[in-house]
This record gives sequence, structure tokens and C-alpha cells, in this order.
Amino acid sequence: MSIFTPTNQIRLTNVAVVRMKRAGKRFEIACYKNKVVGWRSGVEKDLDEVLQTHSVFVNVSKGQVAKKEDLISAFGTDDQTEICKQILTKGEVQVSDKERHTQLEQMFRDIATIVADKCVNPETKRPYTVILIERAMKDIHYSVKTNKSTKQQALEVIKQLKEKMKIERAHMRLRFILPVNEGKKLKEKLKPLIKVCLIDPGCFREIDELIKKETKGKGSLEVLNLKDVEEGDEKFE
Amino acid sequence: MVLNSLDKMIQLQKNTANIRNICVLAHVDHGKTTLADCLISSNGIISSRLAGKLRYMDSREDEQIRGITMKSSAISLHYATGNEEYLINLIDSPGHVDFSSEVSTAVRICDGCIIVVDAVEGVCPQINALTGTLFTSKVLEERAERETESQVNPNSEQGEQVYDWSTGLEDTDDSHLYFSPEQGNVVFTSAIDGWGFGIEHFARIYSQKIGIKKEVLMKTLWGDYYINMKAKKIMKGDQAKGKKPLFVQLILENIWSLYDAVLKKDKDKIDKIVTSLGLKIGAREARHSDPKVQINAICSQWLPISHAVLAMVCQKLPSPLDITAERVERLMCTGSQTFDSFPPETQALKAAFMKCGSEDTAPVIIFVSKMFAVDAKALPQNKPRPLTQEEIAQRRERARQRHAEKLAAAQGQAPLEPTQDGSAIETCPKGEEPRGDEQQVESMTPKPVLQEENNQESFIAFARVFSGVARRGKKIFVLGPKYSPLEFLRRVPLGFSAPPDGLPQVPHMAYCALENLYLLMGRELEYLEEVPPGNVLGIGGLQDFVLKSATLCSLPSCPPFIPLNFEATPIVRVAVEPKHPSEMPQLVKGMKLLNQADPCVQILIQETGEHVLVTAGEVHLQRCLDDLKERFAKIHISVSEPIIPFRETITKPPKVDMVNEEIGKQQKVAVIHQMKEDQSKIPEGIQVDSDGLITITTPNKLATLSVRAMPLPEEVTQILEENSDLIRSMEQLTSSLNEGENTHMIHQKTQEKIWEFKGKLEQHLTGRRWRNIVDQIWSFGPRKCGPNILVNKSEDFQNSVWTGPADKASKEASRYRDLGNSIVSGFQLATLSGPMCEEPLMGVCFVLEKWDLSKFEEQGASDLAKEGQEENETCSGGNENQELQDGCSEAFEKRTSQKGESPLTDCYGPFSGQLIATMKEACRYALQVKPQRLMAAMYTCDIMATGDVLGRVYAVLSKREGRVLQEEMKEGTDMFIIKAVLPVAESFGFADEIRKRTSGLASPQLVFSHWEIIPSDPFWVPTTEEEYLHFGEKADSENQARKYMNAVRKRKGLYVEEKIVEHAEKQRTLSKNK
Repeated sequence: MSIFTPTNQIRLTNVAVVRMKRAGKRFEIACYKNKVVGWRSGVEKDLDEVLQTHSVFVNVSKGQVAKKEDLISAFGTDDQTEICKQILTKGEVQVSDKERHTQLEQMFRDIATIVADKCVNPETKRPYTVILIERAMKDIHYSVKTNKSTKQQALEVIKQLKEKMKIERAHMRLRFILPVNEGKKLKEKLKPLIKVCLIDPGCFREIDELIKKETKGKGSLEVLNLKDVEEGDEKFE
Repeated sequence: MVLNSLDKMIQLQKNTANIRNICVLAHVDHGKTTLADCLISSNGIISSRLAGKLRYMDSREDEQIRGITMKSSAISLHYATGNEEYLINLIDSPGHVDFSSEVSTAVRICDGCIIVVDAVEGVCPQINALTGTLFTSKVLEERAERETESQVNPNSEQGEQVYDWSTGLEDTDDSHLYFSPEQGNVVFTSAIDGWGFGIEHFARIYSQKIGIKKEVLMKTLWGDYYINMKAKKIMKGDQAKGKKPLFVQLILENIWSLYDAVLKKDKDKIDKIVTSLGLKIGAREARHSDPKVQINAICSQWLPISHAVLAMVCQKLPSPLDITAERVERLMCTGSQTFDSFPPETQALKAAFMKCGSEDTAPVIIFVSKMFAVDAKALPQNKPRPLTQEEIAQRRERARQRHAEKLAAAQGQAPLEPTQDGSAIETCPKGEEPRGDEQQVESMTPKPVLQEENNQESFIAFARVFSGVARRGKKIFVLGPKYSPLEFLRRVPLGFSAPPDGLPQVPHMAYCALENLYLLMGRELEYLEEVPPGNVLGIGGLQDFVLKSATLCSLPSCPPFIPLNFEATPIVRVAVEPKHPSEMPQLVKGMKLLNQADPCVQILIQETGEHVLVTAGEVHLQRCLDDLKERFAKIHISVSEPIIPFRETITKPPKVDMVNEEIGKQQKVAVIHQMKEDQSKIPEGIQVDSDGLITITTPNKLATLSVRAMPLPEEVTQILEENSDLIRSMEQLTSSLNEGENTHMIHQKTQEKIWEFKGKLEQHLTGRRWRNIVDQIWSFGPRKCGPNILVNKSEDFQNSVWTGPADKASKEASRYRDLGNSIVSGFQLATLSGPMCEEPLMGVCFVLEKWDLSKFEEQGASDLAKEGQEENETCSGGNENQELQDGCSEAFEKRTSQKGESPLTDCYGPFSGQLIATMKEACRYALQVKPQRLMAAMYTCDIMATGDVLGRVYAVLSKREGRVLQEEMKEGTDMFIIKAVLPVAESFGFADEIRKRTSGLASPQLVFSHWEIIPSDPFWVPTTEEEYLHFGEKADSENQARKYMNAVRKRKGLYVEEKIVEHAEKQRTLSKNK
């Protein structure tokens, strides 16, 4: 058992490893942390800012460099830089702390923006600000899931927020075009869904389908306004 | 003097000739409140020992902590000289520039004022501003009294300082009224040491001593005069070297020697002075180790400040009876309106003003200059018992009245509440409450509920009676600042009966009873039954009728007094939000109260849902926030920079590059790897031709759209902006036509306006590219009324905004309408959020060159042959929205189920939805192939500055990307007026910075003016060698547009092209303990 002293431990600092399996072999390259995602998205254009060294490894932590023949058999070339670029774009990445943090933060804001965009304060018919929604989301301890789309999550958030504060999805304004004889019958059925032609966007599908089924395609509906929101600035007088 | 009883005050109030309404004005920290303290102490309200330290008029906690006054407050003082007894309504005002509005409120109800000038600092900018205010509001009668507060250590410089004062001020007022000691309108005081004198005081003493006539001394004691002791003659000009002028020799020397003696603790000398002055100093003061106490004790007996000041006030200032005709007219006329333009009834009121009569026949005219909130506990009627009880009593009373009215009972039937004492009951005049008030009951009913919730705040109107007697319970018209007597006379026939039962609703007018009247005694309020004319008073129970200021009059023909002209208009904007989102209602309620309580605050709710608070300055802001937190809303709030809006647009391709070289001539050398990647942004499957025409196909390959984006000329954008209301009404018209409601006939005027609008557009959209385009306009966007245009250039288009919907009889047309609607919706969505940072577009014209639906129709036909159901499925989808589809989870389920039902529908959702999404995408890409630009909201900024700070003004402006449009000198002054434009994005903290940098000598005013394209390209990277040399590889230092764009994207959680870590090598990677 080795004793840990400052001199006999070698730490892999500031290293993010990108791995790729090809031709039954594992190849690794040593990159700087928080840089690989930037390279992939095209923000970082300088390869030297991403790669620690241009050599391709079999195992970065042990410092084993890949053999030339392996490289040729796997990539068809022994140009290390080219191979590094390939591995960088196609290999598995360790997402570093800051990268993950920015991604989560970005999604969090995106969700808040969507919620703020879709919802209003039912009392004033005015939207809430993004900052307020963000704070409310923090209050309900909402945690962002990276594998779900932000829109889906936004809808979840709205449901959860409803319990905490006065928030509602902005209503849609619809117009129904119905044949005369069908109109009355339908009205009864639509009643539970409609509030004077302002509906919760969640019910849209239901209404649409109902109309299609009941009128056998003769009726249709038209969206007049996606969001029924107060417009313009208001000054307190 | 002893504390004056309330009865005494009431008695004094009746003698209008002996009332003086004055306010104290000065630069910040020159000692207004200290002076007020001294005057108050003379009435025994506070101890004379505490005068100057207590700051009695600063009743707010933050005023005491910060040591500055933040609001104007009034106190009534009694002063007796000889046989005459005077009532002095003293109003203390704040000196800080942020609270100029409070000063204006004070000035409006005063007849004169005391201007305090510090001897050391001299005349400061604030004084110049104040005198400006005074002259504009025509309180011409002010007299100056000066204070030499810091004259603790007498030295020769002091004497010289004394000379300097007069010059500065006399320059500013070029009227016949000068402040000059020899005219006897200047008092030299030290409020902190409690002494004060006018020239007259010493002139009297020395005329006896030296034997020179008092009149001569009055003239010569101030100025470049010297005495020749031997000849007992006063000479003009310096006779011998080292001689001191008369003022210094005779007056200041004496004071200095006193200070000298006390400070050096020269016991004998003090005794000598004291005995020679014939004063008696208490043993306690004489033994006191602090020399200040001794000075105070001696001086306040020798030259009592309150006497000096108040005597002069009584002597020099006009009583309410002496109101000038000029001032009356000034008060009554708004802006450019002249007095002659008023109806005769109104003109007749002028006489009442001048007379200021207290007879019952005299019309009652009261001006409310501000509303202020007081703790309900501080109200006199609430002192013995809690407010709720009184509220209950009031409500019971009101209910009873309603009941009584129902019974049509005669006057006085409603019995008095036996358990209550008089004060509570008489707040509502029994029985005779008019029906006009009943109408108000509806609006009033929520109020008691509110008050119960937080029964802490009660609003008192800060007012002055100009004519007639204000009695409690008197019914009176409340006229808002926008009320016009002409309007009233037009609506109401002449000679209407007095009780305004069936009075028609006149805007900005209400009718109510004066509930409570108070005597304002600083932080205390005393209850009054009636207030004779010329007095300052507080009125309770007006909060439902008066917002900030109003005119109360017994006759409706009275014009409202001119709105207060503020020295400082509110310009510091912040967004306010509750810490806990659920507390939103409290915040809104609190902000409404704050709006009422503060004359200078503005509160806006913006379209984004932000609550924006606009205040006059940082100190004012702080006070408003404190008020909101502790008094009105009582919640935690957070304050942030307001959201700054941007617009996105496109421009013509630039002809020169960033180093002013012509594009095309340069070879794009070396830096090819930095080429713009516009082309790569556009995914496959979309055709882009060199002209910027985008051709895109829906996911089910049934329809193809070709869209091009073009920048609109600036004038057209402007026309569209101006006519957004017209466009909206056009839209409503078409939609009502759509519904088949032809009953809505187009109004002739509207129709004319529409043609005029169309003509204007045609006039500006000329040239080859815009030929016939006006006739082909399909829609405006976003929200169907914005400054962007959708044009349809396909051959079979007949649905332009001008003609209204096509005949929908044919089936073809109806189908096209459905699909067309989807395309318009797609355009609306695209214009609502642009590609750069999801901000709305502006000044962009989208041209739909082609729309190929042939495949769709084919399929529709074949489907129809196969299965009749199918066509309906695809076609009647109406206006489904793409966003909805991928939005709700319910919708997802529905879609899958739908798919199961009819496998023939394609897997991309309903066709109309696809069309919306495709159109939106097409518009976006069409924008992206053009040079995109960001538009910033701009303020126009007027800055008044003196010549010596011009340089610093320019520095602040240029630092904040401002641009100076013009600069001119104001005639006859050394002030420059600078007109500049400044991006709203840079305006946060601008006012404060400019004030700080110029030591308050420049004051900006910001008004939103227009949208302006930021010339720099947010996506710009250096491409030519010259640019590369000039800006370097990164070139991110100067790109203002990119800075804004990234800030917005970051705020919205959009992807920002920024490196997470700039330098990979420099990361700290080890945690601390390794």
C-alpha cells in the first residue's frame, strides 16, 4: 500500500477525457475541462485551447499512448491531430462542472421564459415577469431535468406553480364556425370547456376533435388570439 | 412663552389679516429644519435646549437617521408683538433635489418664504432652482433671510464671506425685489446657537449710542461703509488701511468677542459682557463646561432668533388678504390658457379669491397640494380607541342612512349613535348626504375592507383654504387637475339646483363631504370644526376622491389650479417585485397607496408585467422603497433594473466595412476560418437563392412556400407605428365581416382615414421593388397591427387588407381562407419573436412570392376519392398552432390516438399547423440571410448645465453611448441646453451619475422618443486583412449590438455564443484542501 504524500501522487488536473471505441480498441484524448462542449458547438475555434496534447492515448490516466498501427487500423491515418478532431466530435464526453451548470441554468431560464410567456395573473390578465417566475420556481424547489424538453417541463412547472400562486395559462380566443342545425347540440357539449370563447389552451385539442366528430367536418374553429393578455402600458392614476 | 392652547389657535385663525403662510427653503443641509426648530421652540412646543438637535419637523424615522428632510410638513405657530397677535403657518420643506416636488407642494400654498443661505457655502445651485420655482409659481413676495449657522469660529474670512452672498442671488432675480440687508429683509442668524438679528436691530442700538440717525445707519450698516469715530461720520470707501467696514466693526466684532470669550473660558469677560448686555444667565448654564451651551444661553437672550425671524415675517410678508391678482390668475390658468378665456362664472371667482372672505356666502375654495399618509393611530379621533370601531360606526351610519333614504324620511331622522362621542359621528353628515355621494359608495365600499386589513395608514390632504370657510361635513366639489369648468357648463344647464342629485357624470369631478379637518402641528394633528380662509389645514377622508392634488370648491365653475410644476421630473426607473410571488396583490395595493401619497412618483405596469417605479432620484427612490416595505405593502420586495426592450430588423447590405473600405475591393485574405457561417446555419432542404429568396416545403412535402424579407423604408415604419390603432380597427372590421355581421357599417371617417393611410403608404413605397405592393398587403404584424408587413405576390391573391375577405361562397375560397389564415398566423409568430434574441420585429416586409399547394390539392382530391372523411381531417383543422402541438402533454396523447384512428393522416400533425410552422421558419430564415440589426429604444435627453460643467456632461454622455444633437446657450444666463439621445439600455443610473459628476449643476430629463438601429452588426467578425489589423482576431470589444443581444439571450435562457472558460490553461482545478 502506497502512502499518499504530495510527492508520490500525480493528479490529473484540469483534464477532461474524451473516449471513443473504434475497431475494438478504446482511444482517449486529454482535453481541458469546460472546453469540449464549446468546441462542439463551434464557439471555440482554437484546437490548442481544447487539447492538452495532440497525442492519442489508450488510457489517459495511466499515460499510455496509442500505438501507431492501432491508429491506422482504426482511423486509417496516423495524423494525431486529425484523429483528435474526430474523437472530439464523435467521442463520449465527460461534461464538466461549469458546462453542466451553464446548461442547467440555461434550461432553467428557458423554462421560466416559457412559463412567463404562456401564463398570466388571472386577476390582472397581465403576465408575470421572468424573474418572478424564476424565484417562484426556486421556491417550489423545481429541479431541471436535462433529458426532457423545456416546453414539457414548463407545463409541469405551471401545474406546480398553480398551487403556490395565482397563475393561469393565458386563454385562447376562438371562433367556432358551425352549421346551424348542429350548433345547439354542440353548445351543450362544449359548455364545460368554454368560458365565453376563451379557453385554456390545454383544452384546444379536445374542442377541435369534438367539433370535427359532431359536425362531421362541416364546422371548424378559428384561433383569434393565442394569448388573451392585456396590452400596452398602464399608468396608475 | 407657553404652549398655546387649541382654542387660542382657532381664535387666531379667524383673523385673516394676521395670518402668515410661509415656508422655509434652502439648499440641502443649510439648516431649514434647524431654523424651524428654533421657531417652534419659541412657542414652547419643544424645549429651547433641544432646538436644533431634535429636528421636530422630521417626523419620519429615515429622516432622523439620514439627517435630511424628505417631506414638507406644516406647523402653526403663535407670535405676539406689541398688541398684534399673529398666526404663522410654517411649512418646512426638504432641500434635497430629489424632493423638489415636495417643495413645490409647499410653495403652492404659501404666501411667502424664508430662504436660508449658508454663510460659508453661499448660494448653491438648489437655491437658483428654487427661486426659479418661486417665480414661475408667482409667489413673488418672498423675502430672504440668511443664516450663518456655521459661524462658530469667528475669523476675518467670515466677514468677507458675508459680502459674497448678496451678489449671487441678486444676479438671479432681475425683478425689483432684491434681498438686501438695508431693505430690512435679511436676517443674520445662527440657528444652532440660537441668535439672529436684522440690520434694524443694531441700527436702533447704535443710533442711541453713537448718535447717528437710525435711517442713516440702516443704509450704511451693510456695504462698503466705514465710520470715522472722531468725526462721527460715516464715509463711503476705505479711508485708512486695515479699517473694517461698519458691519464688521459694529456688529460682527461684538459677536466675535462674545464667542472668543466663551470659547477661551474667560470668566471675567463673559460676566462683563453679560452684565453690559443686561442679561441673566442661569447658574446651570454658566457653570456648564460645554461652551456651546453658554453661547446659546447668552445669545438666545441677547438676540433671540425666533423674535428676529418672526418679527420680520410678520412685518414683511403679505397676509392672505394681500394676494395679488397676478398670482390668482396664474393659479387658475393652466398653461397657455388665458384668464379671459374662462366663462364669466369662473372669472367672477377671482373676486372671491382676492377678498378671501369668511362669510357664509363666500364660495369655498380649497387647494389640496398633496396627500400624505399618517399612521391612523396618530389621528386625534383615534387616540382613545382603535380605528376599527370607528369604521364600524361609520359603516353602520352609512347603512342607516341608506335605510333612512329608503323610507324617504325627512332630515335628521337618522338617530345619533348614543355610545359614540361626537367626533366619529359627525364625520358623516346625517341624512342630508346627497345621492351624488351614494354613487360613490360603490367605489368606496372596498375601502373600509382594505383599511381593516392594514388599518395603519390614513390619508390626509395637505391643503389651504383660499376663500370661504371650510366646515366639517360641508359638501363640496372635488375637481381633479384635468377638470374643465367649460366641460361642466356644457353638460349641465345653467342655473341647476344646488344638490346635484341628477348631476350628469362630468369627468374629473366628484362630490363629497369634508369629513375631518385638522390643524397641522408637525407630527401632531389637532381636530378642528371649521377653518377660516387663509389657513393651512389637513383634510381627512378624501383618499377616495383625490389622487395627488385637487381643487375643492363649493361651486363647480371653479377651474382646477394649475398642476404642480416640478423642478425634477421622475427619471430613475426600477422594476419592483415581491420577494414571494404570492404577495403580488399586496404589492399592487401598496403601490397604489404610494402613488397617492407621493406627488412625484410614477408607477407603471408594463406590457411585460413588470411594475415599474419612476422616482426623481436615488434618495427619493430609497424613500419610496422604504415606504413600500414598511408602510404601504408591508412585504419584502426586490428591486432590479427594468427590462429593456429591443426590436429586430434588417438593413440593406452595407457598402463599406468596419474600417471604411469599400466592400468587394478588399480581398478576404488569410482569415478565411473566420468567414461568416450564415450559410451553414440554414439546414438542408431549404433553398436559398442569391437574392435572399427562401423556398421551404412543409414536412409532409405537400406545400411549398417562397418568402423574401425586405427592409421597409424608415418613413413607412413610422407611418405604421403611428397608425397602429387604425390598423387594429381595420382588423376588427374584417373579422366582424367574416362573421357575416354586416350590420357594422364602416364609419365614413374611418374609411377616409384608411384611404389616407393607404395613400401615404403608396407615396413612400415607390420604386421598382415596391411596385403595386400596397395593394397586395395581406397582413400587419405582430398582433395584426405592428410595424411589419406581409405581402402576397402570388397571382390568385385577392384577399388584401384593403378589400376585405373574398367572397366565401365558393368552396375554393373558403379553403384558401383557412390555409391563408395559417400562413398569416405563421407570419404573426415570426414577427413576434425574431431570430436574434426573440424580440419583436420592426420595419420588415415579408414577401410571399409563391405558394404552391398543388400537391396538397391533388392529395386532397385523391383522398376524397378514397375516403370522404379524410379531406375533412386535413382540411378543417382550422388554425391549429404548432406551438400547441409540441406544447401540451395532453395534446401529445391526443395526437397519438388520432394517428391510431386514421393512419392516413401524416405523422406531422394537422396540415394547418405544419403550414404555420413552415411559414414561421421561412420568415426566420429569410431574415437570417439578410444583414440583421438590433434596434434600441432611445431616450431624448434634455440637459441644463452651466458652462463650467459642460465637459463633464459630455464625458458622461459619451461613456453611455449617448449622442449630442444640439447645444445652445439660454439667452441671458450662463446655462446651456444640451439635447442628446441616449439608449434606454444605458440609462440606468444615468441621472445619478450626471448629477454626481457635475455636483448637481446639470439636471437631465429623459423622455422616450424613438427606436434607432444600432449600426453595428451583432454577428460581425473581422474578415478582411484591414479589419483584422484594426480589431484583432476576436473583435468583441466594441460590438455594442452583440453586447445587447447576448444580454437579452442570457436573460431569456437562450443559447449564447460565449465561451464558458476563456483560457483553458488558467482554470483552477484543485479544490482548496488538496
